[in-house]
Amino acid sequence: MGRWVRWWPLPILILLLIYPWVYRQPYFHLLGFNTLMFATMAVSWNIMGGYTGYKSLGHSAFFGLGAYLVAIAATRLGWNPLWSAPIMAVVVTIVAMLLGWIMVRTSGSAFVIATIAMLLIFRLLALNLRSITAGAPGLSQPLPPWTPEFSRMPFFYYMLVWLIVALAVSAYIRRSRFGLGLLAIRDDEGKAEMVGVNTTLYKVVAFGLSAYFVGLSGGIWSYFATHISPVFAFDIIVGVEMILMTMLGGLGTLWGPVLGAFIFVPASDLILFNFGSTTIHLAILGALMMLILLFLPQGILPTIGEWLEERRAPRAAHTGARSMAEMHEKKPV
Amino acid sequence: MTTLLRTEGLVRRFGGITAVKDCSISVEKGSITGLIGPNGSGKTTLFNLITSIYKPDTGNVYMRDKKITNLPSNRLCHLGLSRTFQITRLFWDLSVLENMIVPVRQVGFRSLLGPGMYRYEEVRAMSLLERVGLDHLTNEPARKLSFGQQKLLEFAAILMADPELVLLDEPAGGVNPTMIRFIMNLIRSLNKEGVTFLVVEHNMGLVMELCDHILVLDQGAKIAEGPPHTIQSDPVVLDAYLGD
Repeated sequence: MGRWVRWWPLPILILLLIYPWVYRQPYFHLLGFNTLMFATMAVSWNIMGGYTGYKSLGHSAFFGLGAYLVAIAATRLGWNPLWSAPIMAVVVTIVAMLLGWIMVRTSGSAFVIATIAMLLIFRLLALNLRSITAGAPGLSQPLPPWTPEFSRMPFFYYMLVWLIVALAVSAYIRRSRFGLGLLAIRDDEGKAEMVGVNTTLYKVVAFGLSAYFVGLSGGIWSYFATHISPVFAFDIIVGVEMILMTMLGGLGTLWGPVLGAFIFVPASDLILFNFGSTTIHLAILGALMMLILLFLPQGILPTIGEWLEERRAPRAAHTGARSMAEMHEKKPV
Repeated sequence: MTTLLRTEGLVRRFGGITAVKDCSISVEKGSITGLIGPNGSGKTTLFNLITSIYKPDTGNVYMRDKKITNLPSNRLCHLGLSRTFQITRLFWDLSVLENMIVPVRQVGFRSLLGPGMYRYEEVRAMSLLERVGLDHLTNEPARKLSFGQQKLLEFAAILMADPELVLLDEPAGGVNPTMIRFIMNLIRSLNKEGVTFLVVEHNMGLVMELCDHILVLDQGAKIAEGPPHTIQSDPVVLDAYLGD
């Protein structure tokens, strides 16, 4: 059986592939797209927030930047968003690296505040650079060429492809020397620097990479939504939700952000659906998140991992010191 | 003998206190040099100035006659200068083996994109872990180790970077006598292999036995230096320690 365990993502992938054909109402396509999009963004955010331990609250700045770049390219240059989004996301990454180069000089809460400030600046720019962004009313894009009843399915599959790419990148980073350096920075940055890790460079690259898939998601979303405005494109709640899902699934784990998104997005939609007539749904969501943080502070995956570890034959207290006699015999050569 | 590390007129003030005052020292290549002095005499501050954790107000640090003042700490490591900390610092959530791999010299983007650990690095790490008696704990997270084991791991890990000069901040602090013996033997055998040591230590017996040259700091300035037997009977040193 053990041999097959590693293929566990396959059935889930098959389920995702047939999902839009089973649930054919447009609402479910919207829900599916949103879930995949947030999963992609959470995986991306996790590279900086989870692996490196620098928690950005302003990642929706990259979401909005990606959305606007793609929308502007579509309206002015006629570039199709589906292929311009991955290209514009490269621009977002470069912008993120330049800003990151300044921001990673701070750490802890100062870094968090710097990222929020960054978001607010982007929002102000989007509101006021009217000749480029059309200001508060926002930009409209041409509709996708395919028929309306079919309209959301291509977005769903396109987003699924990018989620897989984001996961592959995240997995690759985690197993690379670069990823080991990021984990070292999270544990003790000063020590990492002292043993030869160029911490500034590592953090800047991680910040840029973690902006890529968020910017990309923004670009795809702008085409999906067809109309974007500063208030929705640069919404701090989007950034907060990325973090909440990651923490729910397991901060710094590969699959945690995906699991978190697959629980969080449908749940928040369900709550919105039932209690949306008032704004009470936000309070319910907040209360649920607080409960999760109280009882599963590490997130679902690490908690399960620990639980499995404990259930497995209680390991002999093997980590104790070797006997001193043994130590004594072992003369350094 | 050639000079490996040299400081020239280092000064560092914290508010109204001058922690290091016109401090010029030199460490000969191939030596085990001791750095002693009463509490608050500026030993750790001097270490922090040498390793760019603090910026000196004035003065310079040279390694092999190359100026390394204020060079980023990670560059110092690549130049062959490594250190341990008074309070052991490890990557607590990483495994023992991963703690060994992080300090491996990393050159260029190619190596960054490579796998977390090459086979030959693992072999090297395992032989060093065996040498310090931690090879049975390879996959344990560092935080699960005992205090003494953590100290040994910190020591072993910096060796992965092939340092030419190692600054040890209280290698015997808080460990039992058997372990002290073990660490001393380790320092000696590494020294024979060509590693130079600068050691801050409060255990005088150990310093006198281990070091071939001793520097004495008091109130941020060097007040004496020489081989152990002359330091032990130096009236200036005795005065600094016992007070007047």
